[in-house]
Amino acid sequence: MISIEGKLTIWPERCRGCRSCQLACSFARTKEYNPTTSCIVLERDLDREKTAPMIKSLCCDLCGGAPACAAACSYGAITYEPDASDAPLEKEAA
Amino acid sequence: MTTWTDRTWFVDLTRRDAWYEERPHHEVADVLGGSGFGWQIIADRLPAGVDPFAPENMIVLNPGVLVGTRTVGASKLTAITKFPTVASPDGRFYIGSCTSGGRYFAIGMRQAGCDRLVIQGKASEPVILAVRDGGISIEPAGDLWGQGADPAARALVEREGADAGVLTIGTGGEKLVRSALTFIDRTNSLGRGGLGAVFGSKNLKAIVARGSGSIRVADPDRYNRVANELCERVLAWPRREHWIKLGLAAGWSTFKHTQNPGMWPKERWDQLYGEEKRLESLQSVIACASCPLNCRLRWVLPGGEFDGEQGLGSPYSKSATSGQLLGIEDDRKMIHLVTEANTTTGIDFYTTTRLIDFVTRMAEDGRIPAEQDGITLSRDYVTYQRLYRMTADREGLGDVLADGWYRVQAELGLDPSEYWYAGVVKGVDFIYDARPSRFHPLMMTFLTRPRPHHGGSHTRTNSRNKTLEEIKDQAAHWELGDEVMGRIFQETSYSGKFNVGRYSAYMEDLMRVKNAIGLCTIYTYQALLFADDMARLYSAAVGETVTARELIRRGERISNLAKLVNVREGFTRADDQPPAVWFRPMDAPEGRIEIEDYYQTKVLTRDDLARILDDYYDERGWDPETGHPTDERLRSLGIRATVPS
Repeated sequence: MISIEGKLTIWPERCRGCRSCQLACSFARTKEYNPTTSCIVLERDLDREKTAPMIKSLCCDLCGGAPACAAACSYGAITYEPDASDAPLEKEAA
Repeated sequence: MTTWTDRTWFVDLTRRDAWYEERPHHEVADVLGGSGFGWQIIADRLPAGVDPFAPENMIVLNPGVLVGTRTVGASKLTAITKFPTVASPDGRFYIGSCTSGGRYFAIGMRQAGCDRLVIQGKASEPVILAVRDGGISIEPAGDLWGQGADPAARALVEREGADAGVLTIGTGGEKLVRSALTFIDRTNSLGRGGLGAVFGSKNLKAIVARGSGSIRVADPDRYNRVANELCERVLAWPRREHWIKLGLAAGWSTFKHTQNPGMWPKERWDQLYGEEKRLESLQSVIACASCPLNCRLRWVLPGGEFDGEQGLGSPYSKSATSGQLLGIEDDRKMIHLVTEANTTTGIDFYTTTRLIDFVTRMAEDGRIPAEQDGITLSRDYVTYQRLYRMTADREGLGDVLADGWYRVQAELGLDPSEYWYAGVVKGVDFIYDARPSRFHPLMMTFLTRPRPHHGGSHTRTNSRNKTLEEIKDQAAHWELGDEVMGRIFQETSYSGKFNVGRYSAYMEDLMRVKNAIGLCTIYTYQALLFADDMARLYSAAVGETVTARELIRRGERISNLAKLVNVREGFTRADDQPPAVWFRPMDAPEGRIEIEDYYQTKVLTRDDLARILDDYYDERGWDPETGHPTDERLRSLGIRATVPS
């Protein structure tokens, strides 16, 4: 059973492709580094050489409320808010 | 893969064979593993005197020991080979290393169980190598041969998957243009001095690397704590916001002083090539793996002849300097030449534009006939563009330029030492000139490194106007002890407030460490990570406790191995000489620019530089007459090889 305790938000345009989210995710799960076994896939647009993270929702358990991917993203492309009602997308629109 | 074992894959393209050797960490630890052990393989197995294009030459590709972990800037691959740049009038070639980051390739190698790839032989027809789980295969290049570096990379990613690492060469590498580069993951160039041409000589178009294995470190919790702490430090850097907005388009305020060719007034250069101009074409900044300070760029040219043209890499600084040298006021025309090289031909922009500058100016001055094989040499963009393509295609005079400075000397009778922007050392032109840059330690390593390029050796001293306290503070982290620090920071009449020769020896050793572990040089350039941080990371990764001093000692061992194999090729102190042009004042519109020490306390003479070189060799324990490692020093470092008599 996946326990959803907050809201993980992807901001595709902020992603710079560093793969820290994948490395942090795999480490949090296994204490090994492996983008392949992380719960994140990096989508890649070769026309613009642009990446964006996608979360495999059946794999992700939000690290029990402190997602390693959001903590590891230096560019703000994955953010986490424990209170799901305070949606960042809405804040930015305002 | 683990960080406490080391697996080298060997590929013989002639025999179409691949095999591996695996060693426990302690067998490679004295040279740190990574590219350190790559140098050991070169020292043990590359015969002296082979032609760089002969099948016997080796390419050794080394992901850093920390690559694939989440550590700031741990993304680098270091390649070692005998480079095809003709390094002396009598036709010698240096063995050197080059290093670059990336997002997929180096990690892909390690995930596929390959800590190092040694390529030898020559394929009978064009091939690619595929490094995948379970081994390495040699596959036909098919229609990739003849394609540009970027279309080939793109085709391979489309075929292998979005997370496949790719290393490709362009059409210039296929045609053995001696400056040709390789490209990693489309965004990073690797191999000034001609790594791409060595690939071409082996009929090797590309390598793809993709695996699914995990990277394990010896003490995961400790390693992760250190990595997190260092990341927090980088995120708190006050200049980070500016840097991540501009990547390698940042830094114009320093660059316009240090790399000024002195032909235009600075305000004019500012208007034509400055930060505002860069923002007109900059589209996005791309990070290497695990890097919170992204620097790779994507640009799209706005308007003009090349409207809408897109490129990947880092075009701005190089186009600004060569644009001024060639007198091209439209930055888009110069950026187009970078795009053409990065996308298609893969030839080196610096060397090719410097050579074009040299021959066209010499024709203008009547030193050589303007009518040359296939072209009339004049000082205009159409001619430059044509020469650029003729070089990549080895057509007419381009065939001469494709062989570099000493072929130009042999065919046209022009002495490379006369080249006015920075000159030439070991057959390589410079990206900086020591006069506007001043004689800082990076300029020193251009003289003393086997391959005259920075190769990831930056420290704080590569920026202007850092305080002596700041420089001392960074060096204190090297843990060298009071005696060595006293020698480095002893003021002298010939080197100013610190001794560039003695400092540079340790700076080079630290570069060897960074390259072996795979850490990007931007972090020591900006004083964000220090040698003792590297020691903490390395210790937790490999399960052996080492100090910064010990790391640098092992770096010194690698420096000595690198020197030793070049001694076998006939290099001596005579090859480490500063170009004559450094001692001629540059007559810039703002006034004379002369070569000075870091703090501009005096104009340096040839004799001053000779004394600085003396101190460099002395600090290394090398013979000051020959510049060769002494047997005593090699013995004290535990290096078994001896200096050839």
